[in-house]
Amino acid sequence: MNFMLNVLPSLVPLTSNDGDEACPKALLPIANKPVIDYTLSWLDKSGIKDVLLICPSSHRAAISHYLHSDSGAPSTSLSIDVQAFDESPESAVGACTLLRQFSSRITTDFVLLPCDFIPPPNLTLCTLLDKFRTDSVADGAIATSCWFTATRPEKGAVPEEWGVLSPPTSIVWDKASNTLLYVDTPDDVDRNGEDFELRMSMLSRYPRTTMSLSYQDSHVYVCKHSVLDALQQKGHFDSFKEEFLPWLCKVQYQRTKREKYGQVLSTITNNSGSSQSIALRHSTLKAKERNASRPQRKAAQAVDPVQDTTNSPVDSDAEEEEQASLRVGVVVIPSDAGFTARVNTLPAYLEANRHFLSQTSYSLPTDPVNRALIDPKAQISADSMVAASTKVEERTNIKKSVIGKHCVISRNVKVVGCVILDHCIIAEGAKLEGCILGKNTKVGAKAELTRCVTQAGYEVDAGETVKNEKLEISDWTAASQEESTEDGSEGDSEEGSEEDGSEEQSSEED
Amino acid sequence: MPPKPATTKENLIGDDDEVLQAVILADSFNKRFKPLTTQKPRCLLPICNAPLLDWTLESLALAGVQEIFVICRSHPEQVKAAIKQSKWSKPGSGIKIVPIMTAKETFSPGDALRDVYTRGLVTSDFVLVMGDLVSNIRIDEVVRAHKERRKTNKDAIMTMVVKESSPYHRTRSKGDSAVFVLDSETSECLHYEPVMGHPRTNVAHIPREILAEHPNVEIRNDLIDCSIDVCSVEVPSLFQDNFDYLDIRRDFVHGILTSDLLMKSIHCYVAKDGYAARVQDTRSYDAVSKDILSRWTFPLVPDDHHPSDQAYELRRGNKYLAKDHTVSLARTCKIGNNSLIGASSQISDGVQVLSSVVGRNCTIGPRTVVSDAYIFDGTTIGADCVITRSIIGAGVSVKDNSVVERGCLIGDGVVIGPDAKIIPFSRISKAPDEDEESDDDEESDSDLEELEEDEENNVAGKLGVGSNAILWPKAAPQEDEDEEGVDNFENLRFMRIGDDASDIDISDAGTVSSDGSDESSDEDSDADTDAESAATTAASMPSGTPIPTTPFDAEFRNEVNQSLERAFAEGHSVDNAAVELKTLRMASNVSLSRVREGVVAAIVDRIKLVNTGPAAQRAEIAAVVNRWGELINKIGGVDAVETITVLQTHCAQSERLPLFGQVLAALYQDDIVEEDDIRAWHRLPASQGEGVNGSVEEVTNLKKCWAVGARMIQQFDEQASDEEDEGSSEEESD
Repeated sequence: MNFMLNVLPSLVPLTSNDGDEACPKALLPIANKPVIDYTLSWLDKSGIKDVLLICPSSHRAAISHYLHSDSGAPSTSLSIDVQAFDESPESAVGACTLLRQFSSRITTDFVLLPCDFIPPPNLTLCTLLDKFRTDSVADGAIATSCWFTATRPEKGAVPEEWGVLSPPTSIVWDKASNTLLYVDTPDDVDRNGEDFELRMSMLSRYPRTTMSLSYQDSHVYVCKHSVLDALQQKGHFDSFKEEFLPWLCKVQYQRTKREKYGQVLSTITNNSGSSQSIALRHSTLKAKERNASRPQRKAAQAVDPVQDTTNSPVDSDAEEEEQASLRVGVVVIPSDAGFTARVNTLPAYLEANRHFLSQTSYSLPTDPVNRALIDPKAQISADSMVAASTKVEERTNIKKSVIGKHCVISRNVKVVGCVILDHCIIAEGAKLEGCILGKNTKVGAKAELTRCVTQAGYEVDAGETVKNEKLEISDWTAASQEESTEDGSEGDSEEGSEEDGSEEQSSEED
Repeated sequence: MPPKPATTKENLIGDDDEVLQAVILADSFNKRFKPLTTQKPRCLLPICNAPLLDWTLESLALAGVQEIFVICRSHPEQVKAAIKQSKWSKPGSGIKIVPIMTAKETFSPGDALRDVYTRGLVTSDFVLVMGDLVSNIRIDEVVRAHKERRKTNKDAIMTMVVKESSPYHRTRSKGDSAVFVLDSETSECLHYEPVMGHPRTNVAHIPREILAEHPNVEIRNDLIDCSIDVCSVEVPSLFQDNFDYLDIRRDFVHGILTSDLLMKSIHCYVAKDGYAARVQDTRSYDAVSKDILSRWTFPLVPDDHHPSDQAYELRRGNKYLAKDHTVSLARTCKIGNNSLIGASSQISDGVQVLSSVVGRNCTIGPRTVVSDAYIFDGTTIGADCVITRSIIGAGVSVKDNSVVERGCLIGDGVVIGPDAKIIPFSRISKAPDEDEESDDDEESDSDLEELEEDEENNVAGKLGVGSNAILWPKAAPQEDEDEEGVDNFENLRFMRIGDDASDIDISDAGTVSSDGSDESSDEDSDADTDAESAATTAASMPSGTPIPTTPFDAEFRNEVNQSLERAFAEGHSVDNAAVELKTLRMASNVSLSRVREGVVAAIVDRIKLVNTGPAAQRAEIAAVVNRWGELINKIGGVDAVETITVLQTHCAQSERLPLFGQVLAALYQDDIVEEDDIRAWHRLPASQGEGVNGSVEEVTNLKKCWAVGARMIQQFDEQASDEEDEGSSEEESD
């Protein structure tokens, strides 16, 4: 049924417009493969069929062109419905707003994904779906989220000019049941910058919890359809991660919230999970109080546990879940699971490219046309990638770099640790180190760039030496329109790069 | 020469032969066990017929401690004598026990540790325990782990032993527990958050800066703090330096963890198996006794390592009888599971002893029922008595036909009965003799003075004719207002034996609900400002208003009723009852009118229906309203019109409908409602049953009430016109 993708440019300046042409983030290549391909193939492997892809209206053409072209996505089994939303340049549009807008198109339980998540090699989306299914049937969980170990770059690895990394989020979860309990939000920080305020009700329900600062949200959520109904009621929520998810975590242990929204959230639970819950109800392992309504249960609890000497002194069923637990499950990807990332910052983008480079080994193209473009005297190290139709001239040295399609790299050029997107032209004698060049960048002769990022279409003058900078087109007269979008998008990347961009969402079949 | 310092250093650190010392703080520094502790220190109270101190010593002996300092403050001579007599003082026990008498001015564990420092008692790492510990945890392993850690980290000054369990474990005090934040790998304690039952701790505050240094931490709310600390030598000196440290946890641990200067660290040892608990209040006395009887403390069980070396025989169902065949059990008596009966005790015909401990030389008369009670040595209980969930001291005599209800503490040597009726949670002690008073310490003096003032109440016959006892006053909230921290009155209720505190123990979710509704109303107001979400606002507003939903409502009502029932039954003053209601209202954050409904309903229901004629009924109403009517206006606000409406609604729904007029009249007589109020009520459309959605019967009942009100107003009018008439006639006569 549905899958959705909304593309807000967050990797400024890489995704800033090139003239009139949009550069959607979804199509930004990582190791010469658009980032959205990683997500789509992940979805494909999990057996999900129907995808609703939501993107800003300005990107719609580019994305649907990519999806329908021959060179496009390899996944043929997905049926992708591309929908556009109107993007206002001033404010970012959060996932919640989009979900509300497109809720009529989502008819079942669904998965919300970003377009820029690179999952670890051993984790399939099925793992998340299975966890969600078992949890929701067993005790009425309403959602499953996925967090991975954030890689913190060593200090000085990336220049500060590339923008500040968003600080990792503190979360509290219960290891035994894999339940997400608390997500720290900027609002909480504003309210109390000194302390975390954790509810005792949460701590008594989940007495042994883990709190951690080292995980990052993958923005992959598997949700019950009823979550949408709750979302409709919470009209002012915009960001899924910063507003809705923390709220959703609280519903399970805060009683008024539960009373208010429990009905809404748990409507579907009973139909889908009835067979198993009946079985569980009859199980002798479960305590009798399980089905007792709350007041009775309270009375049972009020009976002093001291009285009950025959059982163990631990009043084990005091914490028995009643009805639907309404909890939010969590899958935590450990640090040794392999490379996992959200490509929502420039350093992360560079890091992802480097990671995929380290897994490939370059060999000269076999196709004679492309073969002819690469001069035999050029040196290309094994841990590099050069895409088709790119010309590399003699005595050029390429190490640990990704070179896009249709580039021209002249003589005596030195490229180390760079990501060069399509259609770039690098004049002779230039030296590039640790750079990311946007589409159509032109580098003049003997220019030296160290750890720079260029906007698509930027031109570096010959002989120029630049270090640690973001190079953006500052042509006011020609691109006043552009400038404004840029400002807006820059704001995005600063304020909430985690809220960044692209959400895809797909609905799971029953 | 160079090797020499190296070897000495090694000796200093790695010397396993050095004597392991322990310090027992054999004083509780609080009064939770009074009056049982007026005559002897808490550490000598028997639990399962052996003094607490002996259990503690036994626990330490298991751990291989060789030198023990017992710090005693109250009744030190008794502690000293007890130690002298204990088996550990015999030659060859391998343990050296030194009683240390500290000054009367030692008011806290902190003071005691300062004393330890000034006397220079400890020379190496030592174990610090309280004198009320029952444990089978291998403390020697903790000591080893502690020493191991000290080799690499000199700043790790203390290791707290905590026991993993459930947050609802019966030895985990609801009134005084804690949340520990531990480093996942090193178990370093990063934050200590004390949790109280009242005022309820709703939110745990965990400093954000912790995560900066320790990105992965565990938040544990399932640990029982058993107050076993392995301390390094610097601990007493830190107490000396920081003279304001009183409590070891709340002040010392908190101080060390938050200090930027000291740079010391405290670790936790999370014991996964084993048993450890403190007898820190009467409730845990109950819990620990049960644990011992159900053998959780093995090998410290009555039939094996009984600390006082009494021999017990274990029978099926965890029944323990003294092994020397001196117990005399009548043929028809019934001993329930989990019971222990000491040597030379006599149990008569038809007696039931259920989950209870009976001391040595006790006599229990025919047909008496003892359930969940603890009876110390040498006590005599007469025939046909009922004793429930109470602790009866040594040498007490309870005469025939007496009833001791749950939660009572009866001091040593008390005589009560016959036919005594002891209401729940009473504390009873022997009336002071002249000579005893002189050697009591000041505290108890002042207590006793208070007692005397209250004495006239006792003569009411509750204690029986032959009683030598006085009933302690209930600690009223106002008196204890200066008591902050854990020992405030309401919080202590979580620590009383037999008190389920259900009226103040609002479940967590309930309390949260109040905050939750705050939050959601915040959110709703957000929604208000959010222009595009008008529909949402409309949807969420009704539920945002503080009209509680039905189950919640019922629960609150239930609690109000319980609170009032207790007030009625125990004869609280109106003020006390009002304070309790206020607390309840704050705790569950409901509107005043809910409370009013509850109070009016409870008062009306309190009125007995009498069939012997209207006069008797009127007298009954007047009695109740005179006594309790005042409460209606003391719950936090006066709204007489609403009071009448509430009264009307309640009467319309209950069988006390015919009483409406009389109750209203009684309220009028007591000036709880005024004439104007009745008129104002009468004018309200709702009073006639308009716009009230209820059953037809209810509406007709409401109308009936309204009619009664109308008659009353008519009477007022007549009176007024009479007066006027009189006035006018006088005028006329002029």
